[in-house]
Amino acid sequence: MNDFLELVVGATATGCIYGLVALSYLLITRPTGVINFAVGEWSTLAAFGGFLLLSRLEWPYPLGMLLVVTMLLLIGWLTERFTVRPLVERGAPPLAPILALLGMLVVFREFASLVFGADPQPVPPAFGFGRLELGPVAGSYQSFFIIAVAAAVFAAAWMFFERTLAGKSFEAVAIDRRAAALMGINLRRVTSLAFAASAGVAALAGLLVAPNVSAHYLMGLPLAIQGFTALVIGGVGRVEGALLGGLILAFAEQFTVRYAPVPPGLAMGVPLVLLIVFLLVRPTGLLLPREART
Amino acid sequence: MKSLLGMTAVAVVLSAVAFMLGSYQTDIYRKLLLWTTLALSYNFLFGIAGQVAFSHFTFYGIGAYAILILLFQVGLPLPLAILAGIALCVVLALVVAIPATRLEGFYLALATLAFAQLFIVVLNEGGTVTGAGGGLANYRLPDVFGVRVTGPWYTVVIVVLLLSTFATLWRLDRSWFGRACRAVRDNPEAAQAMGVNVARTKIIAYTITSAMAGVAGMVYAFVDNTVNPPIFGLQNSFLLLFMVIVGGSGRHAGAIIGAALLYLMPFLLSPLIGHHHALVFGVVMVAVVLFQPKGLIGVWDALVARRKLVP
Repeated sequence: MNDFLELVVGATATGCIYGLVALSYLLITRPTGVINFAVGEWSTLAAFGGFLLLSRLEWPYPLGMLLVVTMLLLIGWLTERFTVRPLVERGAPPLAPILALLGMLVVFREFASLVFGADPQPVPPAFGFGRLELGPVAGSYQSFFIIAVAAAVFAAAWMFFERTLAGKSFEAVAIDRRAAALMGINLRRVTSLAFAASAGVAALAGLLVAPNVSAHYLMGLPLAIQGFTALVIGGVGRVEGALLGGLILAFAEQFTVRYAPVPPGLAMGVPLVLLIVFLLVRPTGLLLPREART
Repeated sequence: MKSLLGMTAVAVVLSAVAFMLGSYQTDIYRKLLLWTTLALSYNFLFGIAGQVAFSHFTFYGIGAYAILILLFQVGLPLPLAILAGIALCVVLALVVAIPATRLEGFYLALATLAFAQLFIVVLNEGGTVTGAGGGLANYRLPDVFGVRVTGPWYTVVIVVLLLSTFATLWRLDRSWFGRACRAVRDNPEAAQAMGVNVARTKIIAYTITSAMAGVAGMVYAFVDNTVNPPIFGLQNSFLLLFMVIVGGSGRHAGAIIGAALLYLMPFLLSPLIGHHHALVFGVVMVAVVLFQPKGLIGVWDALVARRKLVP
C-alpha cells in the first residue's frame, strides 16, 4: 500500500511536469494556432540556466529560479518577435511559423550543446534530497515541490483565463482572430504575451524536472513529445485539460512500468501509443473548449 | 526519346564517377546519392502533396530492416525478399495513412512523429529479430545470378535507384495524379469540388513515397553492412525536412540541391567548427523560411528571370 501511494506521488509529480509542458504548448496554440515544438528546448535552456546559477554560482534557489524564468520570458518574446511575427505580417502560409520554430528548436539545442558540452550537468532540487512523509503518503521533497508549483501555475492560468479581461481577450482571439481584431484587441500584443508566457511555463517545467534527469542538451525532445501527448489527451481547448492530460499520461506510463509484465523499454512506447490512439479516436481531447457565448 | 537519352547520359556520368573514387569517397558518394533519392521522394510527399510527415526516414529504416530479416532470418531468396519488403512497406504505409489522413494539418505530423518514435522502441526491444540496441551486422549482399555485386558496381545500383526514383516521380508529377496532389495541397475543398477524391489522393501519395523510401532503405542496408536504431532516429527525419525546405519544396531540382548542400555541408564545415554544424543547419533553415520561402531554387529562378529581362 505504501509502495502504491509513493508511486502515486511520483506519478502525480511527473504528470505535473507533463501538464506544465502541455500548458506551454496550449498558451501559444490557443490564440495563434501555431504548434511550437521548441518548448522542450526552452525547458532545456532553463535547466542549463539552473545548472549555471544554482550549481555553479550557488545562488539561493528562489533568486535563481526567478532569474531563469525571467530570462526565458525574454527568450520567448524574442523568438516571437524575430521568427514568427515577420512571417505573420507577410501573410505567409500557416505552416511557415511552425517550420521556422522547428529550425529554432535545432538552434536552441545546438546552442546548449555548444555552450555547455554534451555531458549531463547536475541541477539541485529546491529543498535538497529529503523524503517527506504525511501519514501514509510519502515522496521526495522535490515531488511535493513540483506538485505545489504546478498547482500554483495552473491556478494562476485558470484565474487569468476565467477572471481577467486580458484572459478573455486571449480566449476571444482563440475563437475568432478577425472578429477579435475588429473588437479592438491587439493581436500583436496577445501573440507576444502568449510566447513569453509559454516560455516562462516551459522554464518552470525544465527547472523542476532537471534534478531528476540532469540538464542535457537532448532532454528537450522527449519532454516535448510527452507534453504534446498530454495536450492531445486533455484537449487544446482548456487549461485544465493540459493538467488532466499530463496526469493521465504519467499514471499510464508509470503504472505500466511498475505493474504490467512488459520489458521497461517497451513501456517507453506507452505515451506514443496513447498519442496515436487519441489522435485517431478523439483528436479534440477529453475536454472540449467552451462554446462561444451568444 | 530525348529525355531517355538524357537520363542515360546522366546514368553513365554518375556511374563513371563511382569508378574513380577511393573507398572513403565512395562511402560519401553513395550516401549522397541515397540522401538525394530520399529527398526527392520526400519532396513529393511534403512539397507536392503537402503532407508534413516525419515518417519518411522511418520507412527507410523499415525497408532496411525488412530486407535483412526476410533474407537472413526468414530465408527468402533476394527477389522475393525485395517484393515482400515492398509489400510490408505498402501495408504499413496504408495502416498509417488511412486513419491519419482524417487528421487535419499538423496533427498528421504528430501521428507520424509518434509512429517514428515507436519504430525505434520496437527496434530496441526486438530481441534477436532486430538485434536490439546493437542492430544487425555481419552479413553481405547475396549473389545475384552467381555474381557478387560489390565496389563501384554496387554504387551503380544506387545510381539506378536514384534515377528510377526520379523518373517515376517526374512522371507522377506531370500526370493527373501530380496535379491532383497539388490541388489537394493548395485547397482541399476546391479539389473536392473539382471531383478529386481528397482522402484517396493523400493515401496514395503517402503510400507510394513511403514505399520508395523503403526501397532506398533496402539498398542502404548493404552500403554500411550494418543497421542499428540510432541511424533511423528523428534527427535524420528533421534533416530530410530541412533539405527539402532549404532547396525549395515542391521542386525536384530544389530537393537535389538541398540534399547535396546539407549532406556535404558537415564535411566542409567540420574543419572550421567541429561537430556544431547542426547549429548552422538550424540557422540556415530559419533564414530560408524567413527570407527565401521558395528555397535556393527560388534564388536561381529570380536570377534567370532577371537575365531574361536584360537583353
